[in-house]
Amino acid sequence: MTQLDSRGIVEVSDGGVSVELKGEAMTLNIGPQHPSTHGVLRLVAEVDGERISKLDPAIGYMHRGKEKLSEVRTYPQITALINRIDWVSGFANEVAFIRAVEKLTGIEPTERAQMIRLILTELTRISNHLVFASSYPLELGAATPLMWAFREREHIMDVIESVTGGRFHPNFNRVGGVKPAAGGGKTQKKVSLDLPSGFYASVENAMDKAELACDELDELVTGNEMIQIRTKDVGIISYEDAVAYGISGPNARASGVPTDLRKLEPDVLPYAGLDFDVITRENGDSFDRYLVRIAEIRESIKIVRQAVNSVPAGPLQAKVPRVLKVPAGSIYVRAENPKGEMGYYIVSQGGRVPYRVKIRSASFSNISIMSKVAVGQLIPDLVATMGSLDFVLGDVDR
Amino acid sequence: MIENVPFALLLGIKVLVVLGLMLGVSLVLIYAELKWSAHIQSRVGPWYVGGRWGWAHPLAEAVKFLQKEDLVPEEADDKVFRLAPYVMLAGTVATFVVIPIGPEWVARNLDVGIFYLLAISSLSTLGVLMAGWGSGNKYSLIGGVRAGAQLIAYELPLVLALVAVAIQAGTLSLTGIVEAQATPLFTIGGVDIALPYVLSGQIIGFVIFVIASLAELNRTPFDLPLAESELTMGYVTEYSGLRFTMFFLGEYAGMVSMAAIVSTVYLGGYWMPGLSDSALDIAGPFILLAKIFFVLFLFIWFRWTWPRIREDQLQGLAWKWLIPLTLFNIIATATLKVVL
Amino acid sequence: MTDSPSETTELDAFAGEFAAKIGAERWTADHGTVHVYVDREHWLTAAIAARDEGELDFFSWLSAVDWSREVAVGEPAEDVDNLEERYEVLCRLSSSTNSDAVILATVLDKEEARLDSLTPVYAGAAWHERETAEMFGIDFPGHPNLINLYLPEAFEGHPLRKSFALGAREVKPWPGHVDVEDMPSTENIEAGEGS
Repeated sequence: MTQLDSRGIVEVSDGGVSVELKGEAMTLNIGPQHPSTHGVLRLVAEVDGERISKLDPAIGYMHRGKEKLSEVRTYPQITALINRIDWVSGFANEVAFIRAVEKLTGIEPTERAQMIRLILTELTRISNHLVFASSYPLELGAATPLMWAFREREHIMDVIESVTGGRFHPNFNRVGGVKPAAGGGKTQKKVSLDLPSGFYASVENAMDKAELACDELDELVTGNEMIQIRTKDVGIISYEDAVAYGISGPNARASGVPTDLRKLEPDVLPYAGLDFDVITRENGDSFDRYLVRIAEIRESIKIVRQAVNSVPAGPLQAKVPRVLKVPAGSIYVRAENPKGEMGYYIVSQGGRVPYRVKIRSASFSNISIMSKVAVGQLIPDLVATMGSLDFVLGDVDR
Repeated sequence: MIENVPFALLLGIKVLVVLGLMLGVSLVLIYAELKWSAHIQSRVGPWYVGGRWGWAHPLAEAVKFLQKEDLVPEEADDKVFRLAPYVMLAGTVATFVVIPIGPEWVARNLDVGIFYLLAISSLSTLGVLMAGWGSGNKYSLIGGVRAGAQLIAYELPLVLALVAVAIQAGTLSLTGIVEAQATPLFTIGGVDIALPYVLSGQIIGFVIFVIASLAELNRTPFDLPLAESELTMGYVTEYSGLRFTMFFLGEYAGMVSMAAIVSTVYLGGYWMPGLSDSALDIAGPFILLAKIFFVLFLFIWFRWTWPRIREDQLQGLAWKWLIPLTLFNIIATATLKVVL
Repeated sequence: MTDSPSETTELDAFAGEFAAKIGAERWTADHGTVHVYVDREHWLTAAIAARDEGELDFFSWLSAVDWSREVAVGEPAEDVDNLEERYEVLCRLSSSTNSDAVILATVLDKEEARLDSLTPVYAGAAWHERETAEMFGIDFPGHPNLINLYLPEAFEGHPLRKSFALGAREVKPWPGHVDVEDMPSTENIEAGEGS
């Protein structure tokens, strides 16, 4: 491959003939409306032919100002806001926030509620990773895995819906526990006061189907040589870059970073009693990021199967004052969102609304490395790298 | 009998038959792709339009496109932009002229049929280049340039694969090639055995020709000029309405024509063992259609199973593997021809 | 607090040790969150020390809190009349291999809202500093490309400052005539099936 020098001039000598070819850089505007930018990300790329010499991600097309909005809402109201940050894994967004508020107020959630939170978080993780595993091949040009994985994911969405009443935005966490009744309000009947009947059977069924999806994806995608030549050694992120850029979750673990907040933050959710492995890989390329997620689906299935057998009996909700006032103080609580470290820094001044909420979302840091990784790549590699980072624009812009 | 028909009338009939065949088969193919891809993806596919199995779905889509506004971008090179779809479609339609659908059924039996085919089928890439350049859109331009590079790389294995067939058949006429395949090779127990070329020495050529024709057609895994996830839709990004329909139809007609060439050259065309010439006159077109749809099924199956490869990998495949292999194939065929 | 006494002591010990490593004097370890306060002059050197001596290689986030007497929306701070007007810049660093983590904090005068950029130490700080710059109006000298991240270049004001009014709340005051819904009574909750 002939590389251009800094002036964009390349010397080609062929026998006696020596020609000077001058390449002119073209600015290619990828997005905000583009099929593989997952929404409204805009990438301003300088390309020479198809090779990218400079990439500048421009974000903010979906900035909803959630940090400012949080300053004018009570704590229970904020959960409705924040499960819309990363809408593919809505439930997992709520956990860290609600645990932060619980720790500030000193309200202990019930054990049953904690275990239900754990199960739903893992279901969300499987669902998120299935969305990734299905849409990533689509970005590489294969359309069929999308349908296969979505078909099996539907069983998980059904479970989440049957428990929380919502498929994408559960808004199910309450300070001190989980929402005790789906339905509610003045006109609706309170239809359920606990997990719906048949919950455990439907979770088992959904796990079987998710496992089936993994097997199918392994056959259709993982073993496919074309997928491998498209993704191996593409978009390599080193360990040092991963931690310096704050890349977290599966993306970091593909680069060998052993961080898994399920293990490191045992008081957020009761993962301590459950047996599962942290999946890491060494190369840090796009294919490894894909493999980590597929392996994590299998680990999460393992976790859910253990967890449904150890849901303790008891109330769903601890005693909570009618008007929740949070004592003054500041706290940062992070949890393992399917996309990485999701954390909330809350500054309370003793009132019903927080003084300041800083939302640390995973995708924001995860894609900030794009401008470094993309340099020297071809446009198809850019798409392959970007897709493998598994970001959601709501999680980037917040 | 044919000698008595006035030339103009005959020409008119031939044009109608060729156009009708191409458009009809293309519409069926669109429906087939919708249905087959749906079943591959565990969906149902078209269901409502036309009452049963959604058979009228492609027609409804065509009507929908006719209603759309015909947009020309401000930055576009107006004439080139408008002309491109016609060039693309014309190149595709013209290949049907030499495809024999029965012993007597051929629009024009050229002695240099293969030459004509290869020359005329590249014309549609010119249409793609025109669309890419004329759209005044950077994605379209990259798509057009990709298509050009792809054409140069894959025209060679395509031609070289057919050279081996021409050597084996000893003729460049497509009717001649079909007849050569119908000629018995040997006799077992008093039964004359004739084999299509895919079974009698041209298996390498067949595989390479199918791969190269996928590239010529911009089908997955070689759909780089379109590459929805990279270039939005490549050279058709800016097209709408009728002109988009032309590209759409052109793509499918191109598939049909390529499948027709594959069927004719490698799978024995209209010929089937055990049928006399007069029977083939009637059954020939249907036999050819069946073979065409078998090849088309392969095309569709590949598309809905595989991802897309990268430009450098695409070029590497052509220059490092396919072209050397076809050269080997030619030498092997020529050697066998001399020895036997 | 929810933390057991032994944990708190452990955390205190860690915080004190860490503060000593990076040469900071003030630290807190409430609610399981360690804050280590450094002077603005030592911001960059403290970050380098945190990375090299403290072995906190993972850059989590950087942001700020606006402590202001003038509050356009939301509830004001405690004891707002005696509040010292300031920005508190926070930077969360953690370890990629264990659960060590601190929030590095510094206090900026409102008149001198300027702080060394951490981009040379943690490459990931670039976007966080751009965000903090546009949202709070804090300057980061040494940043390679300190342009707006979210907002258009022509945008006026700094949205996360407490003095910045929120349009929606201006148009429609809160909480409105419907107050927050009652919490459901806990007596109704029964244990479900299974377990």
